[in-house]
Amino acid sequence: MILPKLTLVVGLLAATGVSAHETAGQHGGRVTDAGKFHVELVAKGETVDVFLSDGEQKPVPANGFKGTAILVVGGKPARVPLEPADGNRLTGKANASLGDSPKGAVQLTGPDGATASGKFN
Amino acid sequence: MPTRFTAALGAAALLAAVLVGPAHAHGGHDHGTAPPPVSTTIAPRGEALSDAFELVAIPRDGTLMLYLDRFRTNEPVPGATVEVETPEGPRTATATQEGGYALPAPWLSKPGRHELVATVTAGDAVDVLTVAVTVPDPKVSPAAAPAPAAPTQAVMGRVSEVAHGVRERLGQKDPTLVASIAVAFLLGMLVTAAVRGRRSTPAVALLAIGITLVLGTAAFAHGDEDHGAPVQGAALIEPRPSAPATSDLAQRLPDGSVFVPKPTQRLLVLRTTMTEQGSFHRSVELPGRIIPDPNASGVVQSSVGGRLSPPPSGLFPRLGTKVRKGDVLASVAPPVQAIDVSDMRQRQGELDQQIAIVERRVERYRKLATTGAVAQTQLDDAQAELVGLHDRRSALDKARQQPETLVAPVDGVVAQATAVAGQMAAPGAMVFQIVDPNRLWVEALSFDALTAAQNATARLADGRTLKLAYQGTGLADRNQAIPVQFAIQGGASGLRVGQFVTVLAGTDAEQSGLALPRSAIVRTGNGQDVVYEHTTAERFEARPVRVEPLDGGRVLIAEGVGPGKRVVTQGAELLDQVR
Repeated sequence: MILPKLTLVVGLLAATGVSAHETAGQHGGRVTDAGKFHVELVAKGETVDVFLSDGEQKPVPANGFKGTAILVVGGKPARVPLEPADGNRLTGKANASLGDSPKGAVQLTGPDGATASGKFN
Repeated sequence: MPTRFTAALGAAALLAAVLVGPAHAHGGHDHGTAPPPVSTTIAPRGEALSDAFELVAIPRDGTLMLYLDRFRTNEPVPGATVEVETPEGPRTATATQEGGYALPAPWLSKPGRHELVATVTAGDAVDVLTVAVTVPDPKVSPAAAPAPAAPTQAVMGRVSEVAHGVRERLGQKDPTLVASIAVAFLLGMLVTAAVRGRRSTPAVALLAIGITLVLGTAAFAHGDEDHGAPVQGAALIEPRPSAPATSDLAQRLPDGSVFVPKPTQRLLVLRTTMTEQGSFHRSVELPGRIIPDPNASGVVQSSVGGRLSPPPSGLFPRLGTKVRKGDVLASVAPPVQAIDVSDMRQRQGELDQQIAIVERRVERYRKLATTGAVAQTQLDDAQAELVGLHDRRSALDKARQQPETLVAPVDGVVAQATAVAGQMAAPGAMVFQIVDPNRLWVEALSFDALTAAQNATARLADGRTLKLAYQGTGLADRNQAIPVQFAIQGGASGLRVGQFVTVLAGTDAEQSGLALPRSAIVRTGNGQDVVYEHTTAERFEARPVRVEPLDGGRVLIAEGVGPGKRVVTQGAELLDQVR
């Protein structure tokens, strides 16, 4: 029951225009909660990197994970499939440059098939 | 003596155990009511909010139903593209007749938590929403969950019954109870004696027997009594086994909030607005009437009494005819009385006679003046006299021929016309009224001295509103009120002079607060004013508020709700009826 509440809180924060929840990550991206994980989104040029860590900010190996990032660029949604790379990093490439801190969401499917998603404003 | 004292203490402890135990079992429950928890009657669902949209996802029979609404107004968003990231890749939901979006989702049959990402495109607004849906495991039915607790609950229930009986009989000074206490006292003595004798094992056995006896006696005594009260601890009744509901029902939840599923919200046409702090001028309602602009209207009156005749065009202007300033609308021929006619004839004869004499005199003087027999001044005088006589003669002719022309004093439309050919018009009678239909005013009666009223509007009977500009206030009393005049700004088409309107004029008094439509306020059964706040996608909570009058359509929330809240403005009354 914590997660819907969390989603709600994130949504409400988004609604009020306050993004106090998002914090700066270790890789210079934005961090948000996705299920039991913390995900950090780093969008640079056309490359999307997602770093996975657990509740205590300890890296979680990205092996076995699949993901999709949907980011709004210039008023159009861009769908970026993410593949596991080295360490706790999943990476993907978009068709166009993503610009500075695009808003959107990241959906992750774990090795057990469980899904988790996090929203970035 | 110490033995007896300890025995008494033991008895008291036993009695206390019997009385206190059940009280503990009851703690925190509400008897009799205890509705089933929300989750058993409402299908699992997930919701997501953004600053533009509100999305509710309900998995049902292998289909994911999505309801998309505007965040601020709660208006359904039709014709949007909703793309959901599924395990099979992105899928687009199709719009249904009920205004929702459906997505076949066989992958949702797997129990557990599904976190979905929905991309919403509605017009030029694009939003990515994350929504989590938890599908319950069908094998673990909600009803089975409390089952392990059943034995304990049963024991507690029994204890509770016993305690209830004891408490009742304590009040009635029941002899059975007194006997029970006496037995307990004796047992207490025995127990104490046993403990003193350091034979601990029999003591424990005795204690156990004693407790059983006390409980047994009490239970037995309870059996032969009839008590109307239902068994205590309705909370111990297992919740109704939940059948898979085909649709969710709007209901009032135990915490007082109202749960209204999205399809029902569509039926009730619930609309919300975001509260905003602002300062408002209090406005007053005044009865008013439309009048022509005094500077753009006029009347055509005849200054003399006489016979009306049409203008040279041969036709009187009719109602609605457009006229320009200076147009001849009619002419009035003053009648000549019989005595006046004879008088005029007489004057005419006299003048003709004088003219003939003066003409001859002028002729003679002209000849003599050249010789110097007559002074030049005499000739000049005679000539001037002749001119004067001719003027008088011609004026007498004109007076009989020339009627008075009636001309339009302003541009406009003929609003009133009474002219009929041959009609005799009284002097000062209005023949035509001319009004510019694009320049109308409103005259309202105010009982207070209205200072330069701002933000005045007029409401017509059909609901239209007109923007008004304050023009001035009279000081002369009229029916215990003073007239206040406003000019209608913008189009005044479709209005008529004399029409009644309601004028809403802002006063100087400024109030700050949250303005809400009057329809947002609901008076509850206890007479309190409440508004319903839209807290989450399908939940509404009543908030008691203090309201102050603002104007005809709005009230001011002085206290109770802060700014930035979504408050139901339409359908609040219906929401209040949900039980």
